[in-house]
Amino acid sequence: MASGHVIKRAKYKTSPKGAGTPGVLKMTENKIMFKPNDPTSASKIDVEFRSIKGYKNTKEGSNNPPLLNLSLEQGGSYIFEFENFLDLQVCREFVGNALTKSGDAAKAKSGDTAKAKSGEAVATSDRSTVTYPDEQLISSAEMELRIKLLRENSELQNLHKKFVLGNILTESEFWATRKKLLDGDSGTKSKQRVGFKSSMILDIKPMTDGRTNKVTFNLTPEIKYQIFALKPAVHRAFLNHVPNKMTEKDFWTKYFRAEYLHSTKNAVAAAAEAAEDEELAIFLKDDDILANAARQKIRRVDPTLDMEADQGDDYMHLPDHGIFRDGSKEITDSQHEQFKRTFLQDLNRQGEVVLEGRTIDVELEDPRTVAEALAQSRQESDENAKQERLDRISRMTEMEDLQAPHDHPLAPLCIKDPRDYFDSQLLKISDDTRAGSEQLRCSLSSEEAYGSLRGSISEIKAMGLSDPVVRPEVAVMVLNGLTQNISSTKFQLGKNAQESILNSLPNTTKEELLHHWISIQELLRHFWSSYPITTSYLYAKVSRVKDAMSKIYPQLEEIKESVPSDLRQQVFLLVRPMHQALDAAFQHYEADLQKRSAKSGEKPNGYV
Amino acid sequence: MKFQIEDVTVYFPYDHIYPEQYAYMVELKRALDARGHCLLEMPTGTGKTIALLSLITSYTLSKPNNPVKLIYCTRTVHEMEKTLAELKLLHAYQTIHIGDRARILAVGLSSRKNLCVNSRVLAAENRDSVDASCRRLTASWVRVAAAANPNLPTCEFFEEYEKAGSNAVLPPGVYTLQDLRAYGKEKGWCPYFLARHMVQFANVVVYSYQYLLDPKVAGYISKEMQKESVVVFDEAHNIDNVCIEALSVSVRRQTLEGARRNLNKMRQEIEKFKATDAGRLRAEYNRLVEGLAQRGNLPFTDNWLSNPALPDDILKEAVPGNIRRAEHFLHVLRRLVQYLEGRLETDNVEKEGPVGFVASINTHAGIDQKTLKFCYDRLHSLMLTLEITDTDEFLHIQTICDFATLVGTYTRGFSIIIEPFDERMPHIPDPVLQLSCHDASLAIKPVFDRFQSVVITSGTLSPIDLYPRLLNFHPVVSRSFTMSLTRDCICPMVLTRGSDQLPVSTKFDMRSDLGVVRNYGRLLLEMASVVPDGIVCFFVSYSYMDGIVNSWNENGILKEIMQHKLVFIETQDVVETTLALDNYRKACDCGRGAIFFSVARGKVAEGIDFDRHYGRLVIMFGVPFQYTLSKILLARLEYLRDTFQIKEGDFLTFDALRQAAQCVGRVIRSKADYGMMIFADKRYSRHDKRSKLPGWILSHLRDAHLNLSTDMALHIAREFLRKMAQPYDRAGGSGRKTLLSQEDVEKMGDGILNEMQY
Repeated sequence: MASGHVIKRAKYKTSPKGAGTPGVLKMTENKIMFKPNDPTSASKIDVEFRSIKGYKNTKEGSNNPPLLNLSLEQGGSYIFEFENFLDLQVCREFVGNALTKSGDAAKAKSGDTAKAKSGEAVATSDRSTVTYPDEQLISSAEMELRIKLLRENSELQNLHKKFVLGNILTESEFWATRKKLLDGDSGTKSKQRVGFKSSMILDIKPMTDGRTNKVTFNLTPEIKYQIFALKPAVHRAFLNHVPNKMTEKDFWTKYFRAEYLHSTKNAVAAAAEAAEDEELAIFLKDDDILANAARQKIRRVDPTLDMEADQGDDYMHLPDHGIFRDGSKEITDSQHEQFKRTFLQDLNRQGEVVLEGRTIDVELEDPRTVAEALAQSRQESDENAKQERLDRISRMTEMEDLQAPHDHPLAPLCIKDPRDYFDSQLLKISDDTRAGSEQLRCSLSSEEAYGSLRGSISEIKAMGLSDPVVRPEVAVMVLNGLTQNISSTKFQLGKNAQESILNSLPNTTKEELLHHWISIQELLRHFWSSYPITTSYLYAKVSRVKDAMSKIYPQLEEIKESVPSDLRQQVFLLVRPMHQALDAAFQHYEADLQKRSAKSGEKPNGYV
Repeated sequence: MKFQIEDVTVYFPYDHIYPEQYAYMVELKRALDARGHCLLEMPTGTGKTIALLSLITSYTLSKPNNPVKLIYCTRTVHEMEKTLAELKLLHAYQTIHIGDRARILAVGLSSRKNLCVNSRVLAAENRDSVDASCRRLTASWVRVAAAANPNLPTCEFFEEYEKAGSNAVLPPGVYTLQDLRAYGKEKGWCPYFLARHMVQFANVVVYSYQYLLDPKVAGYISKEMQKESVVVFDEAHNIDNVCIEALSVSVRRQTLEGARRNLNKMRQEIEKFKATDAGRLRAEYNRLVEGLAQRGNLPFTDNWLSNPALPDDILKEAVPGNIRRAEHFLHVLRRLVQYLEGRLETDNVEKEGPVGFVASINTHAGIDQKTLKFCYDRLHSLMLTLEITDTDEFLHIQTICDFATLVGTYTRGFSIIIEPFDERMPHIPDPVLQLSCHDASLAIKPVFDRFQSVVITSGTLSPIDLYPRLLNFHPVVSRSFTMSLTRDCICPMVLTRGSDQLPVSTKFDMRSDLGVVRNYGRLLLEMASVVPDGIVCFFVSYSYMDGIVNSWNENGILKEIMQHKLVFIETQDVVETTLALDNYRKACDCGRGAIFFSVARGKVAEGIDFDRHYGRLVIMFGVPFQYTLSKILLARLEYLRDTFQIKEGDFLTFDALRQAAQCVGRVIRSKADYGMMIFADKRYSRHDKRSKLPGWILSHLRDAHLNLSTDMALHIAREFLRKMAQPYDRAGGSGRKTLLSQEDVEKMGDGILNEMQY
């Protein structure tokens, strides 16, 4: 069991900033040992994994050294600095495995079932991790994920207990059918990315301490990213100036100084300050990158709203042409215009960025990396939008309701043979309820129904309506017959047939049924996925699974017997599909076996 | 479908037709028959354009020996493109059903900036620099010089076009600007000059209002149009303002400074020419003795904006002796600029008529009326002689001459107003001298006189009897059509009170009241939470919008609104606004939903449709009155009262309500569409205001919706949206039909007509 161990050179530290004691770190299945190079040093460690609560480590690519931080159950932590990230990686993985195992072992103990088996299963997988770290059989992350899934999903845990620990399925077999679950869980993170909030920049409000004029801005990585996305010029300035020319802190101080000047709406003051400080001027000036991008985008804009084209056509825009001051036109102060970015422009820009959505997918910790990633994503491709423009304009011009729709957005419902549909419905109905005689007539084909309808219409046309269309007595009879049926089914089945059957059963029976159903599903899935049997391994698996299934079969029978007689009918209905499914599996198994034995002559097991 | 209106077979490209479209065509046909002008109001969203196009093209087809040319004027380039796209659809349909006989040539015409394909020229920033860079490559003297010296750059597209000579023609078809550019690129011909050339032969020409109404542009582009043309002004509710703008000029300090620089530059040029090529100046002198009628012989590319005043006979007169010599003319201009500078140095608002002003120029600067009148053409001639291609540099002196010519030509209908500063910002001195035209009929008169039929049409021309008075013409047909609705797909409401039951208004004394601002904010917030997709808001002015958005931001309402929808805003920058609109549409398309803030008299209100999910609700915050303290507006009102007996109050209300109706009308484009309109001001509940709204809105404005508060409006909105979400019968199942098939049209005939009018 103790085959896996790791020995690495490392420095032991009490705090991340300290110098640390150089030495050798040895980790085995259960223990962590640290021997300092200087044997006189007091920082010798020998602890069991059981007392380790968790671990943290630094990320590769950040500026920090490769650190591994093991936090103790009792509080406090050990910090090890490795020589390189590769070592850290190996140790981290080892610690991860060891921790999950000790957690698993603890759980197994409390579950008091087949502890050894569980230990073995995990241990084997552990071994494979340590020995072949790149063969992605089970990485530690996946292991963690599995454990997490088991913990979250009690149903899954039950199944796992029953089949894996019951030695019917192996660990990997069990999880192989749940790849999606494992992928899906990690996939959700990347697939649905959180977009921008609609209100972004509006959120950064300075905090004042009330006494001095000093204001404090609370910048999170998220806000920094948003600022970069919103203001390409700030982004460029950041890439150019930080950290060569100024520190990050100075940069943001300057930025908010500029923002403050904006908010005072004093264009003259802004201009004056900008004249003195050229870095500040970057923030105050109009964003030339945005202006260029706008010029690019305007070419691709929907022609039905291209007002820029009007400007070129309209002779009214000539300077001093037309009426200049009639009250409808607004006055602008052209002098300091470049320092007068308006709030309205900011709003528009924000909407645009929100629509563009998040373009990068990196951790937001370090503004430098964010800035660089963003710079890469900005290199957009200029696609050929001309055709789309044309299509759009022709689409816009057509009057939709004056002509038949071009294409049906909905596929028409197509039941090839209506009898198929009605028959299947009928079976269900007659099984569910005992009153089936009226509904039987539904099996009329549509042609017949149509024919009879037409017949009666023509009859009415020819003869006119007889005075009472239907005789009252008959009507009452029919009504009673119909409503009685309705009320009786209601009484028995409630609104939703399926729900009520289960709910009407005693709780234990219900749970048992559900449990069996899930088990059967799981087993059947494994059973059918093993066919065609090509290896001896699959053969063994199939027989194992088959045995398990045949054990469930009589249990179902028992349930059927045990329920009170008034519910037996319902339970029977529920159990029947399970039996059918199992029967089908057994049948297939038998048939396959026969075929096999016929092929390989007298040695049915010779294949194994 | 194909049907008969009296003796004309109409080819209509759709399977069905709205009854009001049919009625519209009938009236239009009668106007064409009578060879007179007409005024037609039909609600937006009923397919005016296609009805108009199919009737006129069909009319020409059934009278092949007397073809009419269609000149279709739009306000904006994108409307031009849309019209041409509809025409394309119609043309395709007609050629399928009639064959080659139906082939027509239809071109859109715009400025060089929108048509040029030369990448070097297009690199220029704005329209004027595009024009100038084009001239720099194509002016006749540049080409002559380039022939001698191959190193001089010319425009390869224009050279190719010239080389092709009379072979350079467009084959029949419908050409949008995009198509023209593509065709030009393919053939290597300049699309702009090709289009300019083809305009004379085209059956349908689509271009901007200015090409007919502004005499400067009309003088060189539209002068060859034949009398047998039908001129259509689409979306013409603002046509009076366009006419007035076309004949108005304002002069500011910057203008005068620029003009001085221009004059210095020209003097240097003259000195240079005197030294090197004195013959040119002498030749020009001789030409001017004979009159200005040279224009016809000018090379195509040397044309530019022509005389802003209209009378043709001016061209045949000889230029007055005192400005025939170039340096004398410069002296005259210098004196004029000096005089204007003197007039700008005033502390009080001054108002004068043109006659008095001309007399004053005569006494102080010694320039008589006749000389003033010839300024523009004399300048034009001089610039040609001096071979100036940088026309964009010389805009200022052009403005001055434009002003001089107008003031020298017209004696009535104008006034000169000098203001030392803007009323609203008295602390910033910004003197301006404005020559303001008050009479819309002056600019449009030549159009009415020259063409046999002029059609003025829009969704909002109410009250329809006012337009003939404003434009001074006599329509043979003047009709307003109702809208036949399958269901109540528009829901106008008048909101008078906020959620706290206090009145809301943008009246001057109330608009900055915090309670009103908050109530407006709450209204938008509540609506944003129930209305899906797009919401459009119109404010009375930019400054009001700016103020209210800022205060919504301060009190946190904006942030709450943004939790429901993204916010986009119209700004004064056209490029930014266009991009904001584009993003707005994207947000509506992707389902995020958005709100667009816009201004009632702004560019967006004028030309952008917010149909379908792009606008389910439009809120008009306040009544968009003009700025009533404006001196120019007061002068115009006075003129209207004295000349046309139109009361000031009536005109202001009419103007405000047509703007409001125009704004809210943008939400609906077809009957399958639906939308709500909220008029958020207590003044809308008054009958005198409300009754000025167009009939198709009034007929849906229920009495119960006349005096709502925010919560009631919210309730109605919820109900309405739920109702509209249900499927419905498009043909208008019970009662009268709202969608006619070919059969229906044949059966009903003129019955439709009576039904569709008010």
